[in-house]
Amino acid sequence: MTLDFSILGTVWPALLRGTTVTISLTSIVLLCATPGGIAVALLRSAPSPTVRTIVRAASWIFRGIPPLLLLFLAFFGLPVVGLTLPPMPSAVVAMTAYMSFYFGEVFHSGLQSVPRGQWQACKALGLSPARTLFRIILPQTIPAALPSYISHATEILKGTALAAAVAVPELTNAAKQVFVVTYRPFEILLAAGAIYAVLDAGLLILQLYGERWAARRRAAR
Amino acid sequence: MSYYDLFIQYYPSLLKGLWTTLLLSAVTLLIATPLALAIALIRETGNRWVAIPLAILVNAIRLLPALLVLFFVFYAMPQLGYRLQPLTAAMIGLSIMGAAYMSEDFRGCIAAIDSGQYKAAKALGLSHLHTLRRIILPQAVPLAIPPYMTRAIIMVKATSLASMVAVADLTAAASRATSITYEPFLFIAFAGLGYLLISGFLALLQSWAEAKIARAYRLAPR
Repeated sequence: MTLDFSILGTVWPALLRGTTVTISLTSIVLLCATPGGIAVALLRSAPSPTVRTIVRAASWIFRGIPPLLLLFLAFFGLPVVGLTLPPMPSAVVAMTAYMSFYFGEVFHSGLQSVPRGQWQACKALGLSPARTLFRIILPQTIPAALPSYISHATEILKGTALAAAVAVPELTNAAKQVFVVTYRPFEILLAAGAIYAVLDAGLLILQLYGERWAARRRAAR
Repeated sequence: MSYYDLFIQYYPSLLKGLWTTLLLSAVTLLIATPLALAIALIRETGNRWVAIPLAILVNAIRLLPALLVLFFVFYAMPQLGYRLQPLTAAMIGLSIMGAAYMSEDFRGCIAAIDSGQYKAAKALGLSHLHTLRRIILPQAVPLAIPPYMTRAIIMVKATSLASMVAVADLTAAASRATSITYEPFLFIAFAGLGYLLISGFLALLQSWAEAKIARAYRLAPR
């Protein structure tokens, strides 16, 4: 069979719609999982050993189970506990849940890079814990955590493809919908791959700038 | 029906799914490891006219979602005349993905070996292959164990994607049982436990291998 890329002329609106869903899913998960990750990181260094152990165990479980299974769990499990959500929000719930723990690990090691003495110094200076966190600790954590933060953000982007399994009309799903009717999987999947590559490249350029910025910040310290 | 009855009813298919997941994990690791090592060695020490196209290929693959690559192997290859069984397609797709990422892990470990050692080995008259086999790799292997095991665990989790191309693995068995019985917590928890056991085993293997290699190479305890 010969390849014929003119098929893309007819299917591009579907792929475009899929791309917008992929971008919005990625952004929503990023927006929800970042504070989630900060919360997980803070709980991992909570004063109570019970809390620390529980969060560590939860982190191990959520990072040890395939994301696809967690998507199924949200999709089938939330209605059982009385929360019936459309596909997109249930995908957001599942992806936010596991990405919070991945981000939690990133931010945890970032927080570890700030000496504990600074918390004590801030207390001695009479700063409140929240102010210490936002004005003293996090500004130093961000340069350390930024490179792996952005590489996890590309993981979110690529991970949104899994939402196809729970009927979210994102890019991979949109591509499948059109190639099963046109019988042109090769051309259409290649086009979808190219779109993912462009989106990823955008994040990677951001990472490049972020790493430079972080290196400058570290040098200035 | 009680949880127990349901579990007994779907237990055989879940166990079969677990077996398929184990098989898929083992085969993809067995294919991806030598492939990744070859890619890493060529990219770090080989001819640049082979290294550059490989670098482009590896980085292009790493930009794509694994699911898209699996779809490509399963749905698009028949268009070129290669019709594959679901399990074969999943093995090929997952091995390609795994090898691309793993080659980057290995590359880092090979790059960590001081480049002066290549020159020293050359000055001593060792051939390129001899240098790699006896000088470079023995130093790179201990460095590679932690990232290798992390990658292996990621690859085991990624085998769950095979369920999207009609492979009856653990995820597929659990989601099928769930959609028939509407008992998500029982079956998905079972499947999750299965994956956690496999990664737990790999984590144990890692600490065993690290201890063994630390002894064999007389590394100072870290």
